[in-house]
Formats: sequence, C-alpha cells, structure tokens
Amino acid sequence: MKRIIELGIILMTFCVISAAALSLVYLFTKPTIELYSQRAFEKSLREVVPAAHSFTEINKKGMVFYQGMVNGIATGAAFSVTSQGYSGKIELMVGVDLNGKVAGIKILNQRETPGLGANVIKPVFLKQFIQKSLQDPIEPKKDIDAITGATISTRAVCRGAKSALDAYQTVRDKK
Amino acid sequence: MSFWKDFNQGLIKENPVLRLMIGLCPVLAVSNNAINALAMSVAVAFVLIGSNFVVALIRKIVPDEIRIPIFIIIISTFVTISDYVMQAYFQDLHHALGVFVPLIVVNCIILGRAEAFAYKNPVLNSVLDGVGMSIGFALALGSIGMIRELLGAGSVFGFQIFNPAVAATIMILPPGAFITIAFLMAALNKWENKVQ
Repeated sequence: MKRIIELGIILMTFCVISAAALSLVYLFTKPTIELYSQRAFEKSLREVVPAAHSFTEINKKGMVFYQGMVNGIATGAAFSVTSQGYSGKIELMVGVDLNGKVAGIKILNQRETPGLGANVIKPVFLKQFIQKSLQDPIEPKKDIDAITGATISTRAVCRGAKSALDAYQTVRDKK
Repeated sequence: MSFWKDFNQGLIKENPVLRLMIGLCPVLAVSNNAINALAMSVAVAFVLIGSNFVVALIRKIVPDEIRIPIFIIIISTFVTISDYVMQAYFQDLHHALGVFVPLIVVNCIILGRAEAFAYKNPVLNSVLDGVGMSIGFALALGSIGMIRELLGAGSVFGFQIFNPAVAATIMILPPGAFITIAFLMAALNKWENKVQ
C-alpha cells in the first residue's frame, strides 16, 4: 500500500513538471500560432479577391461571407465552401466579383490522392475557373480540362465553384 | 571508444528503419517527397535526443515498476513541444505532416531507445545514441523520400527534373514506399555481405 502511494507521488511529480513545461511552451507559441493562422486566412481572402484592400465579415440569411472593400466600396466577396472530393472534403475559398464571375479560387484543405487528385491545388488547373459565371457550364469535358485520373476531384472543385456563385446570387438578390 | 560505437550503431548496423524495421508508419506516410521526409526526421531527432537525454538523467530515481508511463510522459512532452513550435514557425510543414507529428509519441524507435538504451546508460552515451539513431532515421527517410519524389513526381526537393506526366505515380502512393524500402534493404544487405 505504501509503495503504491510512493509510486503515485513520483508519477504525479513527473506529470506536474511536464504540464508546467508544456504550458510555458504553449504561452510562448500561442500568439505566433494565432497570428499566423489569422494572416494565412487573410492572405487567402486577398488571393481570391485581388481587387479588395480590406475585408468585412458579413452574416446574411444564414450565410457567412467576406465582403471585399476598396475605400468603403464593395468590390466582390469571398465564400468559403466545402465539396465532397474523392477521399474527403475539399475546402475552397472562392472570390466572386461584382458581375457574379469567379475572381479567384484557392484550395484551403484537401486530402486527395497525392500525384492525382491532389493536383487540384495547382494554379494551372485553378486558373481555368477565373471569369466563369453561372451562365457557364463549369463541368469537366465542357469548359474545364479535368485532371488526368482524377475526374472526381475535378468535379468536386467544379461543384465548389458553382456553389460559391450560387451563394453570391442568393445574397445579392436579397439585398 | 564506446562513445563512437554508441553513436555509430544507429547509422547502418542498427539503422532503425532499414535494419530494425521499427517506426515504419511515419516512414510510409511522409516519405512521398524529400522535404517532408527531412522535416519529419528533424522532429523525430528533437524528440529522440531530448527523451534519451532526460531518461538517462533521471534513470536512477525512476522506479522500475512505473518506468514505462514515465517514459511516455517525457516523450509526449517533447512531441507536444515540437508540435507547437512547428505550428508557430513552420506552418507549411506542419500542414504537410499533419497528424504524423503528434503520432511521433507512438513511434517505437523513441520508446525503444529509451527502454533499451537510455535507461541503462549514462547521459552522454544516451545522447550520442539518440543522435546516431536520428541520423540513421534521417538517412533512411531522406533517401526513401528522394527516390519516391524523383520517380513518382519527377522532382527532388520540389525542383522539377523531368516531366511529371511520365513519372510513375505509384511511387508517391503507399505501395511505392514498400517497394523503395525493400530495394534499399536489399542493397544494404548486399553491401554488407560484400564487406564481410
């Protein structure tokens, strides 16, 4: 019995030391981690709506989007959308300009097959979506060149782009 | 002379990946390109050297019955530190390695060395053992990563060497890791037979 308590105390001492060390490291790294993730998010907004200088978060009819502004005038909006890919959800950021056309598109997160579906992050592929609107089919074999061996991933990005355009239409109609 | 031996044995004679065949899970997962492989090696080296150091330091006050939980606490502390640091200063790498950084906790190289070496040896020897094992791990992981990236994506460290359209995609998928490890092991065995 005495031995068990002894062992327990030793183990607890190690846990306390470890917890103290971890909280110290956490305190030091937390501001940097938050700063960077904030900055990475803003950077992706700026990439998809290049014309905007600043962004304001807007929540309208249950939809959250980021209105891009230049000197207080709206220039477009960025939508964060997800789409079911081949091996998980693909998270995209899609910028839509005032004419309802895609201003920029960026993949935030994806788990597609390396070497095949993962190629959706390449600019060569994403470039095709620029200036597409709801009037365009936005479908592989029609106006989008699919990635070889990754039709499902290609379709997922197409769906994502379309849903962002749809979302833009909805928030604009209800203005 | 034993210092040299402790350092040396992790390199080839007891290379963790190609000889002892331990810690294969991260090897399979993150060796699809050279940069990820090296980043993973650095994280593992930090944890391995740190835990070997601490375990050797406290080995006389650790009761035998609870040594394993104490090793795990020490290892997971180092792993979490490296996870935070990577998240703060190397976002892209953290993004690429994802869940495999926290999973270093269960990498059997680290617990294996704590139990088999650091618990029985003085601090300096244990640190040298950690350094040697880390270099051995890095050599194995780095060469697997380079071979897979070259054959599977036509590039090395992100520099395009030939057109990726003619590359063998299977090499950057999981089977490519097994194929590469098998060839490296075979080459190592052949070389060692020759030396003897």
